[in-house]
Amino acid sequence: MRVLLIEDSARLQSSVGRGLRKAGYAVDISGDGEDGLWLAESNEYDVIILDLMLPKLDGLTLLRRLREKQNGTHVLILTAKDTVENRVNGLQAGADDYLIKPFAFEELLARVQALCRRSYHRKNPKIVIGDLEIDTAARVATRKGKTIELTAREFRLLEYLAVRRSQVVSRSDIEAHIYPDAADLMSNTVDSAICILRKKLGLSGASTRIQTRRGLGYIIEGDPA
Amino acid sequence: MNSIQHRLSLMLGTICCLLWGAGSLAAYLAVRAGLISEFDLALKTDIQALANMTEQSEAGFKFDSTGEFMPKFQREDHPDYFQLWEPDGSTLYRSPSLEEDRDLPQRFGTLESPKFWNVALPDGSNGRAVGIRFAPKEDDDTPRTPGAPPLTKEVTLVAGFHRADLDNRLHYLGTVLLLVAIALAAATALTVKVIVRRGLRPLSTLAQRAETIDASSLQLRFPTESVPLELLPIVQRLNDLLARLEASFARERRFSADVAHELRTPIAELRTLAEVALKWPDDVSPTALKEALNIALQMESIATGLMTLARCEGSLLTLRSEQVPLRAVFEEAYQPLEAKARAKKLTIDLDMPRDACWCTDRSTLRSIIGNLLSNAVNHTGPATSVTARVEKNGAGERLLISNPSKDLALDDIPHLFERFWQKDGARSSPEHCGLGLAVARAYAQSLGMKLEAELDHAEVTFILSDATPCNGA
Repeated sequence: MRVLLIEDSARLQSSVGRGLRKAGYAVDISGDGEDGLWLAESNEYDVIILDLMLPKLDGLTLLRRLREKQNGTHVLILTAKDTVENRVNGLQAGADDYLIKPFAFEELLARVQALCRRSYHRKNPKIVIGDLEIDTAARVATRKGKTIELTAREFRLLEYLAVRRSQVVSRSDIEAHIYPDAADLMSNTVDSAICILRKKLGLSGASTRIQTRRGLGYIIEGDPA
Repeated sequence: MNSIQHRLSLMLGTICCLLWGAGSLAAYLAVRAGLISEFDLALKTDIQALANMTEQSEAGFKFDSTGEFMPKFQREDHPDYFQLWEPDGSTLYRSPSLEEDRDLPQRFGTLESPKFWNVALPDGSNGRAVGIRFAPKEDDDTPRTPGAPPLTKEVTLVAGFHRADLDNRLHYLGTVLLLVAIALAAATALTVKVIVRRGLRPLSTLAQRAETIDASSLQLRFPTESVPLELLPIVQRLNDLLARLEASFARERRFSADVAHELRTPIAELRTLAEVALKWPDDVSPTALKEALNIALQMESIATGLMTLARCEGSLLTLRSEQVPLRAVFEEAYQPLEAKARAKKLTIDLDMPRDACWCTDRSTLRSIIGNLLSNAVNHTGPATSVTARVEKNGAGERLLISNPSKDLALDDIPHLFERFWQKDGARSSPEHCGLGLAVARAYAQSLGMKLEAELDHAEVTFILSDATPCNGA
């Protein structure tokens, strides 16, 4: 899952960005409204975390411009502005959620997860494919109750394929959503990651398989129970 | 109910009714007096006619009762009465209508000015009496003794006449006037109510407009067009008041939002820093503690600024007036900023007499100058100059600190000293929270000075005035 954090406080950029990355998200960070808008329009994000008081272009204007251009990315406003009027304005401008500073990081994480689920039209945080169960809230994958050891990035890859189950997911989609800086990717990074993930799933005895559709991408499928 | 309309209507209605009543009464009394006077004139004519019918001779008095005037004293239905007395009080003649045992009261005036009064007539009805005492004319038919003195004996004549016609006319007049007065009172009450309501309509409109204005609609104003002259000053003052209230509310909202931002953001930073570090303790950044310290220092700076403002407003500062050499204090205040100014290649032009000296509190003055210099060094562009000069200012002196400022606009000047105001609406600088100039002004006020700002040709000047120079220092 790829998240864009538009926040002018360098400290919050650092701590929230680190926390989100540790939680398994690919995070892009912007410190002002103009740069944030450019990033939001140039890339495909699952969630945008948006401050309102931003240099160069304020958050509400940024949000309105995004919506005017039919950009439907879920936006969570993260701001110190706490009045009802502020919240109503933010939601009416097209935000999907509103969180007031100071906030609990766990709550921010939970809200980002919920918005990610909504991006793929899911409400249940658990995805079951064959005998594989992926808990996107607890961020663990299990087979018949046994945890499959995965790194954060491997889990993100599995989660992304799982939320788009029965769809062929292109390599570029995986790069965009899982890897924060696509420019540094080596050509076989995604292939290697898929290979490792297949091996770990295979070792766990899961019936779920990640299949390659040559020239198109990857699809995750599970045997019917 | 305490209502102007109600009170005005009641007062005007009452006064008008009283005036109508008094007018009607006066008209009634005037007409009554006229009618009675007219009636009395007729009685006077009648009694003079009766007097003409009385004659005297040396043999005594004689009344000629054969005249055509007599029938009114002889009729059976409501006759009039008269009685004539001789000088010795014996009755000379009485009208046929007056029974022997019923004398009329004896009151009299002269022939030219008879006495009139109301009387109960012998038949019990109301009447009007007229009485005279006069010397009857001499009887021409009776010869007089030659050389005898003129006959001057006087007789008394009193006549009583029915006044039913007069009373009926007076009653009719009184009834008509009373009905007219009641009708006028009713019409007046209605008219007064309508007129008062119409007259007070601008006031009602004003009140209705005022009812629609609350804290959420302070942008509304009272219309000044077609407002009566008497209400215009009130409307204008109310509009001025609303403008000030609106500005005050806007300032309050801005202050709250700024406080929220200035306090919530560092708390959020600290909390997230701590939570992320606790959640992934193996991956704590080595700079995390330094960041936490910086956040704490930033919050301490805000708290110190707010507490200083509170102390200034509560007159809780301890001030000690002494002779303060201005140049030395300026150099003390500039010293911590010197490195930054040098890095920005700023030049400091000091136009200040070496012996310039103010009588004030030294540390507070240093804080003010330090704030102004810090503001100049931080906000002016690189390779520019900051100037400080001292000028005479009436009986006192003033200090002016100027620096080029491309970002400030004229509209910003009134906000410069507001708490937490920053030109950058995003408030992204963690170093400045917008309290410095507010604190400087509060300090200046504590010292009995004024701190103002001016913008001219992209150069902002802060003026610290009303300082007391130390003579002979």
